[in-house]
Amino acid sequence: MTAPGRDPVPAPAAKSAQFSSTRRQFLRGLGLVGAASVCPPLTTAATANPANAKPSHPDLEEYGRDPQPVILQINGQTHTVSVAPRDTLLDVLRHQLNLTGTKSICEHGACGGCSVLWDGRAVPTCLCLAREAAGHEILTVEGIADDPRFAPLIEAFCAHDAAQCGFCIPGFVVRAAELFLQGERMSTEEVQIALSGNLCRCGTHAKIVTAVTAALSAGAIA
Amino acid sequence: MSASPAPAMENVAARPDIREKVTGHARYTVDKQPRGMVWARYLRFPYGAGRIAGFNIDAARAVPGVLEVSVRADHPPRCAGDVIGEMVAESPAALDDGLAALRLQCRPGQPTTNPDDAHAGVPPPNDEEAATLKSIFADATVTVEAEYRTAVQTHSCFEPHAVTAIPQDNGDLEVAVSTQSLMSCQEQSARAADLPASRVRVKAEYVGGGFGSKFGIGAEGNLAIKWARELKRPCRVALSRQEEHEMGGNRPGSIQYYHLAAAADGRLLGGRMHLVSVVGHTGRGGGVRAPSYYRWGEIVRTDDQIALNSGLPRAFRAPAWPQASFAMESVLDELAARLGMDPVEFRIRNETSERRQRQLRQGAELIGWNERPPDGTMTGVVKTGWGCGVASWGNSQGRCAVDLDVYPSGHLEVRIGIQDMGTGATVLAVDVAAWHLGLDRKWITGKIGVSDYPPGPASGGSITSRFTAPAVRDAAEKAVTALKARIAAEWELAPNDVTYAQGVFRAADGRERSWVEACRTITDGKINVRGEFNDRYWGHGNSDTAQFAKVDVDTETGLIRVRKIVAIQACGLAVNRLTAENQIEGGVIQGMSYALFEDRRLDGPTGAQYNADLLQYKISGIGDLPEIVAIIDRDEEEDGVRSLGEPTTIPTAGAIANAVANAIGARVRELPITPARVLAALEERGSA
Repeated sequence: MTAPGRDPVPAPAAKSAQFSSTRRQFLRGLGLVGAASVCPPLTTAATANPANAKPSHPDLEEYGRDPQPVILQINGQTHTVSVAPRDTLLDVLRHQLNLTGTKSICEHGACGGCSVLWDGRAVPTCLCLAREAAGHEILTVEGIADDPRFAPLIEAFCAHDAAQCGFCIPGFVVRAAELFLQGERMSTEEVQIALSGNLCRCGTHAKIVTAVTAALSAGAIA
Repeated sequence: MSASPAPAMENVAARPDIREKVTGHARYTVDKQPRGMVWARYLRFPYGAGRIAGFNIDAARAVPGVLEVSVRADHPPRCAGDVIGEMVAESPAALDDGLAALRLQCRPGQPTTNPDDAHAGVPPPNDEEAATLKSIFADATVTVEAEYRTAVQTHSCFEPHAVTAIPQDNGDLEVAVSTQSLMSCQEQSARAADLPASRVRVKAEYVGGGFGSKFGIGAEGNLAIKWARELKRPCRVALSRQEEHEMGGNRPGSIQYYHLAAAADGRLLGGRMHLVSVVGHTGRGGGVRAPSYYRWGEIVRTDDQIALNSGLPRAFRAPAWPQASFAMESVLDELAARLGMDPVEFRIRNETSERRQRQLRQGAELIGWNERPPDGTMTGVVKTGWGCGVASWGNSQGRCAVDLDVYPSGHLEVRIGIQDMGTGATVLAVDVAAWHLGLDRKWITGKIGVSDYPPGPASGGSITSRFTAPAVRDAAEKAVTALKARIAAEWELAPNDVTYAQGVFRAADGRERSWVEACRTITDGKINVRGEFNDRYWGHGNSDTAQFAKVDVDTETGLIRVRKIVAIQACGLAVNRLTAENQIEGGVIQGMSYALFEDRRLDGPTGAQYNADLLQYKISGIGDLPEIVAIIDRDEEEDGVRSLGEPTTIPTAGAIANAVANAIGARVRELPITPARVLAALEERGSA
């Protein structure tokens, strides 16, 4: 029996449940066809000599393990990069394009530090194959910072000193940019839930929430 | 025209380098990728004990991109992560392929992974101790005899330990390190490279987290410098997330036995403490800082350390204090309950510090302590509880040197050989100078993180601000002196007849020159002054703190929700209000994380850490954020900068544990306080 005015500790709100199921749908939609595409390649006859491999399904594209040129749209620019099938988008951004704002932190998609906007949705690039990014609009923290639409968001982080070591902050900026694009005004509690996919070790939580709440209430893109 | 009025100390502008961090342009050690860079890593044993059973070195060497690989077994493996070899390759992918081709096979042995297997229990007191204890307990009205435990906590810095060693064309060496000790890294890099230190430059402009584990270049630095020299190419070594957990250092666990007594009038009488640290395979590096802060009476104390086959401790934000604080603050509440005394009054009764007594009263009011019911008496499924704790930190003096250049345009550059792993240390270069020169920040550029700069302190022991601020003040005053001499010469006055305040030089006869105008007297390029160690700005007294927690506990699920933390922190003059708040809030959140979530788990049979990631090794999330009331507690007479970074994280776990016990009327004596432990405590209470 609950005391008057007291609710049990709330279950995750509908919004976060939506976000996580949408993210699962999103990963399915990428066409990651199971374990084979994300395991380190084994030196088998089939993959060593792609000409001998028989395509298992007409809709599947098959290629060998060697790097091939892929065209990516990053921060509004076209880049032709050399991508091996197992290269993650995080690898390509950081090591080939020298866009080091996107960080590698947990290596498991658990912390949000490697996030970019992929057609406007925040995704963990450590779990995205670079090849799959072809044909999609990728916006990194650098692109967000250069884009005048997001200026109120950048200014809010700066004004509230929303960074300590700063290593997690690009991931938060990206996730906040996604919320910013959605254009909804959000309360502090809603912002807290929406940012729950990003981790911070230094304990900048309070200033991050303050900055994002301020940015969303002041200048969210409708 | 004069420069705009000076911002006060407790400036509320954000740290000067905030924009680089927010925009992703800040380059950390792991972001520096010079052309031709190779990647090196250590090979590591996967279990807590055992032996290498086989490997194929030729297959590994044959992998395209692998430059060299070696396996060595000069000692039996002592922990998961123990070094058994090394590899260097053209890319991280080649390192992965090389490791796969190596087909390293290992057999687990019999690692010690459970502290209880190695814990000898509480040793019986000797005759003298027994006699002392007998007389202490003879006067006791109440006693508490209990064991408290804390888990091993890993630092979990988000930027891993990393070194990028970059040979220069002329034979010099540049080393980027994710470090808390810029200057010692120069010395160590020089030794590792067999070069004079003057030919080695260390850079740490941005450091992605450091809570005590990043002093020195470490094994990573030795490996990176070795291969950079041998291959004459830049070399990067960066630990993986798993390596960070296993080998990046940890706060030891603890098993703390207390048998303490109090008198009817609320005096603590003393008793027995047996304090055991749970450490790594060397059996060293632990410690529990009990007793402290209160008048405990006479204490018979023994200590011990338990060695597990696991990674070694490294100093972790207020080393040895949070473990002790959790247990001692818990014991105090348990004694207070038995006496029927209010826990705040009980603490004030036994406190050694007037300031902390005042902070306890202030915190009690701010948290709504008068709403606190007797333990476990609140009705309803979700129960609210209140708890508190105190801490302190010392303030010794120490050295720092500062370079300050003044340009004819009126701009300044301040250079200090210190580092910033999140504290906002650039405010020391900019805001202290701005305050003493009476200038707006925009005139001042602060540069840190390069070993060419004058030597500053390492960031440990919460010394950086209190060592650095006096030297910056000294430099600012010397700059004023230098300009005064030039103005005086122009005005045909003695330098002492010129005054300077708030950006303006003045003569007694009313002549004035603004800072900017005065700088036009600089005709030889720039004025350069050196700020040094001095006695002004010396912040006497300790950095005391009291923290109060209010929590909700769901007695059906065991879930704890911290609703509010009040943290009252003395730190002398706060150089910058926002960065000081960040230190307080950050310490509180790490303390909450320690109280509720963090727990390094070892697999019993193999000794591997099975939560060596950030999914199952849980840290405070954004959703866990309570309302934090951070108060910079400052007297009007404050005239110095005091320590801040570490006291903020000491009392939080104890305050939360006490709040939980107050809510549910049962005591969880082990960190982290998980829902399962809450439910177990409730069940035990229910059946009592």
